[in-house]
Amino acid sequence: MMTVLHIISIAAIPALIVFILIFAALRGVKIYEVFVEGAKEGFQVAVRIIPYLVAMLVAIGVFRAGGAMEMLGTIVGPITTLIGMDPEVLPLAILRPLSGSGALGVMSELVTTHGPDSMIGRMASVMMGSTETTFYVMAVYFGSVGVYRTRHAVPGGLTADFVGIISAVLVTQLFFG
Amino acid sequence: MLNYIWLGLILAGIIAALSTDVSDLLSDKYRNEKPIDIVLTLEDGIEPAAGKEVDGTMTINLEYLHTFYGLDRVEDGLHTFTVHLTFSSSEKAVARVPVQEEFPSIWDEMTEAQPTDDDALAGSIIIVNRAGTETYNAEFTPDPLRFIGLQRVTNDGIVSYASTAVTIAIGLIGIMALWLGVMKVAEEAGLVQTIASGLRPIMTRLFPDVPANHPAMGAMILNISANMLGLANAATPLGLKAMEELNKLNKKVGTATDAMCTFLVINTSSVQLIPATVIAIRASAGSANPTEIIVPMILATATATIAGITAVKLLQRLPVYRKQLD
Repeated sequence: MMTVLHIISIAAIPALIVFILIFAALRGVKIYEVFVEGAKEGFQVAVRIIPYLVAMLVAIGVFRAGGAMEMLGTIVGPITTLIGMDPEVLPLAILRPLSGSGALGVMSELVTTHGPDSMIGRMASVMMGSTETTFYVMAVYFGSVGVYRTRHAVPGGLTADFVGIISAVLVTQLFFG
Repeated sequence: MLNYIWLGLILAGIIAALSTDVSDLLSDKYRNEKPIDIVLTLEDGIEPAAGKEVDGTMTINLEYLHTFYGLDRVEDGLHTFTVHLTFSSSEKAVARVPVQEEFPSIWDEMTEAQPTDDDALAGSIIIVNRAGTETYNAEFTPDPLRFIGLQRVTNDGIVSYASTAVTIAIGLIGIMALWLGVMKVAEEAGLVQTIASGLRPIMTRLFPDVPANHPAMGAMILNISANMLGLANAATPLGLKAMEELNKLNKKVGTATDAMCTFLVINTSSVQLIPATVIAIRASAGSANPTEIIVPMILATATATIAGITAVKLLQRLPVYRKQLD
């Protein structure tokens, strides 16, 4: 299982690029010219994201640096414990939609201190994969096309996060409880 | 809603920082301006005098030090630390005490909170009287600390995250250019449209506003596939390509369309089938079966995705959100 996954993760990108290039070349596409033409946009897209990313990351930075996460933890802690979420896992649940690297740090720390095969380690692992860094994705994706009125994307994304976190807790208990 | 969440995150951070700061001040957690009694030893016949820069040692009773800060842990005995001194007169010196393992945890905390970058607790030493040929009774006062929570918000939150945002964006340029180039080639070859036609029944239902043969469909499928395989490097550029195509159908620049919101929620709910990073972390932590979390994780993420799609599909009908499209 591990080796199969390993091979997929290594081979997927080169295989995809080679496949597309050969396929296009056979169809008579001037691949080099077209590639360069498309790649030109890379810079503008990256630069266009900057203001959105700054706005989002600074807010998340203030939230984390000020210690609001610990404070939120003490407020919602009693509720989440009821559904079987260990208080140790709660920071991960709060951080998951806000910061990908932050959540990964917390998750790997939980896995290392409590052991990967403990309930906490398993719950943290499942939670890490159960949802994405909503606010980062939103800043980057919407920012790249200059969208700032996000309509129902935020409540929709947060619903997914909330359900993802809760199901991670319940499914882990179901599988390993 | 994003406006309120944005403000909420910032306010929550500042309020949390401020309330810790105020409670630290009220409880006088850092014992600002209060001197600690120590014994200072200057070896090799060094006499304290203005302008002299020397290394000495200071001896503190750990039990006394813990009581001083109101800490529980009581450990008996004297402890000796190195101290770097810069004398401004024969009695006063600026002191730097390099971090030691035996320090009470509060000193580590204070060292970190001090504005100086070195791993030493800064403070001042005043010599009270001579106790022996090389020893002096003295008072050590760590530099006062106030509003360190707010300082942390400014330095770690605002300043460092603002530059992190730019670092992330700049770091995306290369990989973005690569995938946008590859995508353009795939598009010219008609490959993107071919991929889209296979999944047409699902895609037209998810994105009824997007024409079935529109290039956005192909780009979205490629993005979702890359996400499923856990290829984050490829997924973001492909997703941005899809957003660009979706934006071509947008009649109101600056406002998200229904299709954009649906696509975004699919992305934020994660449709990962192979969580390579999580598995790697579990394996390196010595798990007996690092991949055992794949099935429960897929169940959890699938539930999240379904809930997210259901939510956007219901929410997009609300008059509040409809009105924003006009």
